[in-house]
This record gives sequence, C-alpha cells and structure tokens, in this order.
Amino acid sequence: MADSVDPALTSSSSAAPTAAPQPTTETPPSQSLPIRDSKSAKPKDVPAPPAVGGDGASDKPLTPAELKKKAKAEKAARRAKEKADRDGGAGAAGGSVPGAGGQSRPPHTPKKDAAGGSASQKGSKGAPPRRGSGPVTQASAAAEPKKKKEDKSVAVFGHLYGQQRRTTVNGAAKEVHPAVLALGLQLRDYVVCGSSARCVATLLAFKRVIESYTTPLGTSLARHLTTHLSHQISYLSTCRPLAVSQGNAIRALKLAIAGIDPSTPEATAKATLCDFIDNFIREKITVADQVIAGSAVEKIENGDVIVTFAGSNIVKQTLLQAHKEGKRFRVSIIDSRPLFEGKSLARTLADAGLDVQYSLVHAISHAIKDATKVFLGAHGMTSNGRLYSRVGTALVAMSAKERAGGVEVPVIVCCETVKFSDRVALDSIVVNEIADADELVPGNPPQQVTGLPDPGAFTTPPVEPKKGGKASSAPIPDPSASARAPSPSPLANWKDTPNLQLLNIMYDVTPAEYVDMVITEMGSLPPSAVPIVHRMSTNV
Amino acid sequence: MATTTESTAAAGAKPFDIVATYNELLRSDPDLTMPIAAIEALVLLLTHEPSSTISETLDLLEKSTAHLKKSIPNPIGLSAGTDLFQRYLITTLQRPGQLGPAGDFKAIRTHLLSNGRLFIRRAKESREKIVAFGRGFIRDGCTVLTNGGSRAVASLLQKAADEEGGPSAVRFRVIYVLSPISKNIEEPSGEPEGMETVRALRAKGVPVSTIPESAVAYSLGKADMVIVGAEGVVENGGIVSRMGTYQIGLLAKAIGKPFYCVAESHKFVRLYPLGQYDLPIEQHVLDFKSEEDIAEQSKQPADISGDRPVELPLCDSVDFTPPHLISALITDSGVLTPSAVSEELIKIWF
Repeated sequence: MADSVDPALTSSSSAAPTAAPQPTTETPPSQSLPIRDSKSAKPKDVPAPPAVGGDGASDKPLTPAELKKKAKAEKAARRAKEKADRDGGAGAAGGSVPGAGGQSRPPHTPKKDAAGGSASQKGSKGAPPRRGSGPVTQASAAAEPKKKKEDKSVAVFGHLYGQQRRTTVNGAAKEVHPAVLALGLQLRDYVVCGSSARCVATLLAFKRVIESYTTPLGTSLARHLTTHLSHQISYLSTCRPLAVSQGNAIRALKLAIAGIDPSTPEATAKATLCDFIDNFIREKITVADQVIAGSAVEKIENGDVIVTFAGSNIVKQTLLQAHKEGKRFRVSIIDSRPLFEGKSLARTLADAGLDVQYSLVHAISHAIKDATKVFLGAHGMTSNGRLYSRVGTALVAMSAKERAGGVEVPVIVCCETVKFSDRVALDSIVVNEIADADELVPGNPPQQVTGLPDPGAFTTPPVEPKKGGKASSAPIPDPSASARAPSPSPLANWKDTPNLQLLNIMYDVTPAEYVDMVITEMGSLPPSAVPIVHRMSTNV
Repeated sequence: MATTTESTAAAGAKPFDIVATYNELLRSDPDLTMPIAAIEALVLLLTHEPSSTISETLDLLEKSTAHLKKSIPNPIGLSAGTDLFQRYLITTLQRPGQLGPAGDFKAIRTHLLSNGRLFIRRAKESREKIVAFGRGFIRDGCTVLTNGGSRAVASLLQKAADEEGGPSAVRFRVIYVLSPISKNIEEPSGEPEGMETVRALRAKGVPVSTIPESAVAYSLGKADMVIVGAEGVVENGGIVSRMGTYQIGLLAKAIGKPFYCVAESHKFVRLYPLGQYDLPIEQHVLDFKSEEDIAEQSKQPADISGDRPVELPLCDSVDFTPPHLISALITDSGVLTPSAVSEELIKIWF
C-alpha cells in the first residue's frame, strides 16, 4: 500500500515544476468560466492522485497525452460552462455539479485508463497553485472537505445542495436566542424530528423569544419583533431547511404580530402573542391530532392488516387509540435507512400490546401482500393533492395501489391542515431536502456490543462487500481497493472513491392517484380538495 | 310554564312518530326523495314538539335523527337531508343579530320553520335546474343507457323528449337496464323498477329497448353514454346507487363510454366510503350457504327478524361507484367533476 502511494507523491512533487507552465494552458478556459467552476474543477481531482498515481507517473513524459488531456480539460470546462449557463440561478453548487458529472462520465467509456491518467495529471496540476498561495492555507484546509463534498453531489439534485447544514452555533447572529440555538442543533441532529414536532418546538422556542423580548427604543413591537424573529428563523433554516408546517406556523405568527396595534402596551402585546402561540399549537396540532385519530380509527376494522411507513406520530396515535377501543388488527411497519423512524413506532405499539410486524422497505412487496389498508403520515401536502413525505412513502403507496388494479388496498393519509402548502410539486426533484450523505455510511452497528468483529475475521470479509459495492456503484481500481481494506464498511471511504456519489434524499412525492383519502381535522377529503381546505384554513 | 305546554301538547296529540311520518311522506309523494322527506319530517317534528330553548331544539333534533337513522335500513340518503338541516340550523342559530342566540326564541323558531319549508320547496325545484343543465348532454341521434328508477334521470329524459314540443323533436334512443328483482315484495312477479319511465318515454315516442343486467356489456357498444341516478353522492365524488350501477360503471370505463350521474345537490352526503364494504349499512348480498345451512334455515324460519338490526332486502341493496369511473355529475349547482363534490360539501359545511 505504501508503495502505491509513494509514486503518487513523487509524481505530484515532480509534476509541480513541469506543471508551472501548464496553468497558462489551463487559463483560457478558466477566463471564460465563472471562477467557481475553475475552483471546483481542481478539488474534484484532489482525491484521485493516490488511487491512480501509478498511471500518472507513466503518462507524464508523453506530450501527446498532455495535449489530449488539455483538450479534454477544455472540453469539460466548456461543458461545465454550458451547464452553468443553462442552470442560471443554480449558483455555486449548481455550477460545480455539472463539472463533476461531465468528468465522471468519461471513465465509463473504454478509455478509462487515459481518463484516469489525465485526472491524476490535473490533480497534480491543480494542487500547486493552492500550495503556492501561501496565506490562504488555513482557508484551503477548511475548505477542502467542503469542496470534496460538493464534488460528491449528485448531478440531478445539484440545485438542492445549498449551503451545508450548520454544525456548531459558531457564527450565529447575536440576536439568536439560546432556546433557538439549542433547538437548531436538535433539529439538525434529528432529536426533534417529524413535521409536527418541529413545528411545535419552533413555536415554543419562539414563545420564549417573545417572552424575553424587549422592544428597543424608537421602534414599535409590531415592526421590530418581526425582524428579530427573522434572525431566529434564518438561523433555524441553516440548521435544517424549514418544514412546510414550520413555514405555515411562522407565517401565521408573523401575521399575528403585524396585526398588533402599535399603541398596545408591550406586556399586553407579548401576552397576546404567547396566547396566540398556545392556541395555534392546541388548535392546529394537539386537538387536530385527536380529531384526526378519532376519524381515522373509524376506518380501522377488526381483522385489518395495516401497513404504515416509517414513524408518523399521528399514525401511532391512531393505531394506539384503535387498539384501546378494542379493535383487533395487525400492524406491519415498513422502515428504511438511515433514520429508522419505524423502530420507535414498532416498539411503542408492541409495548401497547399490538401485533406488530417490522420490515425494511426492500420487503415491501412481501408486507403489502396481506395488507388491507395503508396509513401514511405526511410532511406536507401540495396543492395538486400530492403527498410530500419521508422518502419511501411513494413506494409504499404505489405498491399498495398497483397490487391488484388499484382498488383493493386503500391508502389513507393522516395530515393536519397546517401541513398543507400552496406550492405544487410535480416530482420530488425540484423541491426536496438533501441530508448529509455520511448518514448513509453505517457506523459500527450499535447492537454489536459483543465484539463480533475480531481483527482476523475483519481483514478477509470486508473484501467481499467491497466487491459488491464496486459492482453496483462504480468501477474502482484494484490498488485503491486494497488500500481501503481495513475500513469497516464498504462505504466508509466513499468520498475518496472516484465516480461514487451518495444521495441521501429526505422526501419524495406521492402522486395524488395513489392516495384515496386524506384525513384532516376538517374532515376526510380526497386529495383534490387540499387546495380548497388550505385556502379556507389560511383565510379564516 | 314549559311543563304545562308540554303536557297540553302531549294531551292534544299522541307522541310524534318521526319514522312513521317519514315513511308516510315518502309513500304519499312519489316524487319526493329521501333527504327531502327526512327534512320535511324534521320540520314537522319541530312544529309538533314545542321546545323553548335552542339546546332543547338541537337535542330533540339529534335524538330524532338518530332514531330515524336507526330504524331505516338504508340511511345514506336520508342522512344527507338530516345532516344538511342540522347544519343549517346551527349556522342560523350562531348568526349574530335578532335571530342569533341572543334573540327571542319564538322568532327564531318561526324563522326556522318558514326557512325549512323554503328549503324543501327549493329542493323540489332543483330537479328543474338539473334538467336545464343536463339537457345539452342528450343530443340528436344518441343512445342513452340507463338503469334503476331514478326520478331525476326519468325527468331529464322526459324533458329531453319534450324539447321543442311534439314527437318530432325526439331524436334519441334509450337502452333501459331492468333489474329482474321486483321492487314490490308482496308481488315478486310484478313489474321491475323503471318500467313506468319506460312506458312514459315510449308514449312520447322515444324508442326504448329494455335489457336485463346481463346484457349490459353486450349493449354498451351501441350506447353513446350512460346516465344513472344516485341515492347519495359521497365526499370523494363517488356515488351510492342501486345495486348494479358499479358494474355498469366498470363496463363503461372499460369500453370507453362516458358515465354521467344525475343527482340533486342535497343528496351530497358527508360520507367517505373506501370501497364496497365500507358503507354504513347492513346488507347481505353475499350469503354463503351449504346444503346443511339451507336445511337448517328451512326448519326454523323467521325467528331472527326480532333482534337483528334492520337489514336491507336484496332488491333495495346498493353499491358504491368510485369517482374514477364517473365522467361528470349533473347537479342543480352545475355539471361537476367528481373532485368538485368535496369542494361543494366543504362550502356547505364550513
């Protein structure tokens, strides 16, 4: 392994002087390009050198190869520029993505080796300027992991990689209230997870913000509090993009603030707002959940086999209540990586004495075989009646409806009207949320506390999974595979694996045809009635 | 004082029987639909039973409604009427002003009763409106397939035949699906439901062909459209209708013929069935029997009738036609797509 790395190092160091004239060859494209693109073109190649360093060393003396590589770089840059132009407002991330896509495609062609060689060359070429620009070493060190990340974004979803989720409270605006600071981190780490829970937690945090708020001199509460709140909101949205319900709640709160008469004494105004928040939580979520559970229970009959996906709180409430009412039914929970939200649901239901079957989403066709009803939670419902929910929901709904001509298994969505949105979703690409792809890389399985993997067994088996991973994801040169042997998971070093991108998408969109019924606190509706109810519940 | 009025009322007339009134109303007027009969019965109840407070009135209504629903084998149609009336009462009572909770209850009561009657009159007129909207669907040279004994469909077809006066205006044909099961229980060999309409249409010069239900698939190729009636239109835009409508809907969809439903908007009912077996009624269409069961049943006949809830006789059984089979609903508030039904319902309820 050490042998394979050394040539790469020597080649890159020896390439540095030869590369010195080369930047001039590379400048023409970079002049015509947005700066970000040329920057992103460099880091993308950084991980490559150790992997294919050997090839690079053998290629280097050949001038024809260099010409070829130059032409290739220009072509890639042109392609990147075209894509960037097409994407328009996609911004930095969008610009960098097409470059990655353009680069990652050639290796699949028979000319894989040549492409690998050119990549290593460019990597060696890209590195020196950064080293040369001495004062920015810290910045580049900090930026390096991020740049690697950008490179690893999946092209189709490129527009969704905005800024990375905040990892610390560093750099938060000084106006941000401690309660909001804490909530932000909880949201980020999925401690507070689920659309309703996030909405309630946000409102409660904002209540504390309002309680500790004093209007500065020279402004009125109605005007200043809104801007004060928007600091909190923008902080929260850097921790995790806001949920539909959060957005609706915030909109209602802002409306309530704006409706306060400026002449109202501050204490009264604050009390009014706190009451408003309490009422909002009670009406739109707590009581709404009870009403929904009540009407959903009526749809559960003895002998039903109910399939649900992941861990929806409202579905849990419904099933528990139905059980309490003495209905005899079975529950089949479908769950998925990486959040495993269904586990806690399964545990709660089993503790309550229900008959629970737990399986992951790949067993969906098996689970749906004896299902009689499907109950789904929602993250949001769009105005064209589509369900926006945890990724995998659409698959469950589709399996239920396509099983036998689409009449036998009703798909029922339980959703508060606060989750209704006036947006329209045609697919799950345009609007979605991307979480850190590292979440997909399994750590050591927490249940294996017995120390199953002994070092001897460890070195041999990981080769197998890696081969599987190679076959499915991308071709990996053998030396790099041997280099990664000690890693516990085949994905552990995915960032260093060329041509491998991980996608950790959070939501998907279920077509309205797959949803038979939406149970809300305002009654049961067909999905087509979502916009009407949304209009009514926001106007009143 | 309240006790004296009550006692005099009780002395004056025997206690008001809402179920009997409802049945009597339905029998006396063949043009009356179930929801309207229910509303009329409730209005009559309010005139008969003196009540002095709002909550007393609402309580009385609720009890009678529940009683009525329990004693009628198929309460889907009538529940549309009772729900509508109750909703109407509540909104009237909540309205601020003289007729609101603060006002004089006597005034509120008379207002309610007069408005209730107005409501009934309007509902009866709604069939005229439906005809006006639906007339355009029946064009020259078309063939209409229909079934059951819907009065709305009958009046639509007859009005279409009447159009422009004289038999020369009639340029459409009707395929009438007749159920072999007679509506009349006392006389099982009597004429099937809808025969009256067939005669009326034939008298107007409309060529009518009557077919059994088994010939629907065979005949649909010759039909241009299907028009059916409904007992209730449910929230997702599906219809609850005479047994056999669902299969006509399925066949029409398979063959690609438009399937229209004619229904008054007071038949919209706040019900959301997920399928055939999710209707709030007891009907034993499927009755699995072995030779042994039949022998046992013949030994001890009719001792079950007492304790069981009212069941729907087979001739009155209904099925549910899901919205995706329905092309459009012709109602007195316009021609609606199935998905617009929930919008209409929400408008009424909120």
